[in-house]
Amino acid sequence: MKESSNRNAEPISYSRRMTRKDPLVWFPRAAGKLRTLWLAWSYPFASFGKGAWSHYSCHVARSAAPYISIGKNVGLARDARLDVCAPHGIDRPVLILEDRCGVGRWCKISARNHIHVMRDVLFGPSVLVMDHGRAMEEWTDPTGQRQGKGAGTIRIEEECWIGCGTVIVCEQGELVIGRHTVVGANSVIRSSIPPYSVVAGDPARIVKQYDFSRGRWVLGCVRSACVTDRRDPREPDLRGANSALSVPEMRKIQT
Amino acid sequence: MIFAAKSRARFEDPLTFFSRAITKLYTLWIRVSYPFASIGLNLSVQYPCSLSRLAAHRMILGNSLIIRKDAWLNILPEATGELNLVIDDNCVISARTVISAKNFIHIEHDVIMATSVLIMDHNHAYEDTTLPIRAQGTTQGGRIRIEQGCWIGQGAAIVCNEGELVIGRNSVIGANALVTKSFAPYSVIVGNPCRLARQFDSAKRAWIGGGSGRPAGTESYLPHQPLARPMPH
Repeated sequence: MKESSNRNAEPISYSRRMTRKDPLVWFPRAAGKLRTLWLAWSYPFASFGKGAWSHYSCHVARSAAPYISIGKNVGLARDARLDVCAPHGIDRPVLILEDRCGVGRWCKISARNHIHVMRDVLFGPSVLVMDHGRAMEEWTDPTGQRQGKGAGTIRIEEECWIGCGTVIVCEQGELVIGRHTVVGANSVIRSSIPPYSVVAGDPARIVKQYDFSRGRWVLGCVRSACVTDRRDPREPDLRGANSALSVPEMRKIQT
Repeated sequence: MIFAAKSRARFEDPLTFFSRAITKLYTLWIRVSYPFASIGLNLSVQYPCSLSRLAAHRMILGNSLIIRKDAWLNILPEATGELNLVIDDNCVISARTVISAKNFIHIEHDVIMATSVLIMDHNHAYEDTTLPIRAQGTTQGGRIRIEQGCWIGQGAAIVCNEGELVIGRNSVIGANALVTKSFAPYSVIVGNPCRLARQFDSAKRAWIGGGSGRPAGTESYLPHQPLARPMPH
């Protein structure tokens, strides 16, 4: 029998059958194992680390796999979705999950340009990470291309914890969530966040920060956000995926 | 044609019988084999749903409870006390709801929830800057009580890090709200960070406050001021 953590509690006795794990959980677990093997063996991932596992209901397209790099011991939980809508002619991974990342249930990570999730990042359930938006021009585009116009770069640095239902969107420029940052539930993040912060709200505000001089977490903002990361919106973004296009082509798209 | 369509619509699509049969079987399986501290009549649990049998003796489920698909009733292995989660009669735990208990979560009777609701009475500890957050375990946490007759909107998050959080009876929590503090009975709570949008005044016998998410008492003469100063872009 599994012991209750409270020692004062009266021990409750059940039959052995009751206290074993439900055998029904072995079916999804076996299906997840098979799905992981199938992913590792037959999908052309840029890399697929040892010990990475996926739930059977994960959504990864085989056509998107060359643009996805998955590190060691990465976990993809139930219904997690890795989308890539990269332009043609790109030959590098646009979605990088480093070692020991945990992508929670019903998360969606949609990459067009570059999303880099560094090691030990934890996602709660229902998180959305998008480095592109659905531009208005898209719907009036005569060529009928279904790709968003803007595309930014998102980097989520080491050891972050992204709470449930958070939305991280960067349509232009660079968005960096600094190291060891905690993002509260249901936050909406559209700009960079300095390292060692706690942010919450819609739009996200800094609630707490680690003060290195005092060696403790303090309320309020100690260091300002990396405002320099935001690029001038009028300036064409020539880094990242768009560098696959030549500069004149880029200008054409921008205008 | 129209008459034919009408006559066919009198019967439910027979394909739905499969999923209903699976729900019935799974509910039966849970009733028979899970050692809940107490379980009421007329439970309905849709498959797949994350319930751990090892944690079932720390839960009480009431009568006529509906637990929809993909709900996740999680009780931490390091949970304190004998009983951690109580869900009373006539509640609806909708699809993709996450309830994670470390200390004590009490959902009183007739509470209904929309999908993707998060209820957590603890959080990941992050204070040690030298360790990854996943290696730091969970915080001490608090206790959550959602009183009878509440309605929790889609995507709302109710998080309590310390002390006790009580949502008073017949309160409404708006979609995607983030609730981190207690509210009196008969409140309408919206926004992230949360604020009181309306409240029932028992003296006037009327609901006080703007209808569209404005703070209570400021509806007629003050323009709506956002309480949170946004970060510079």
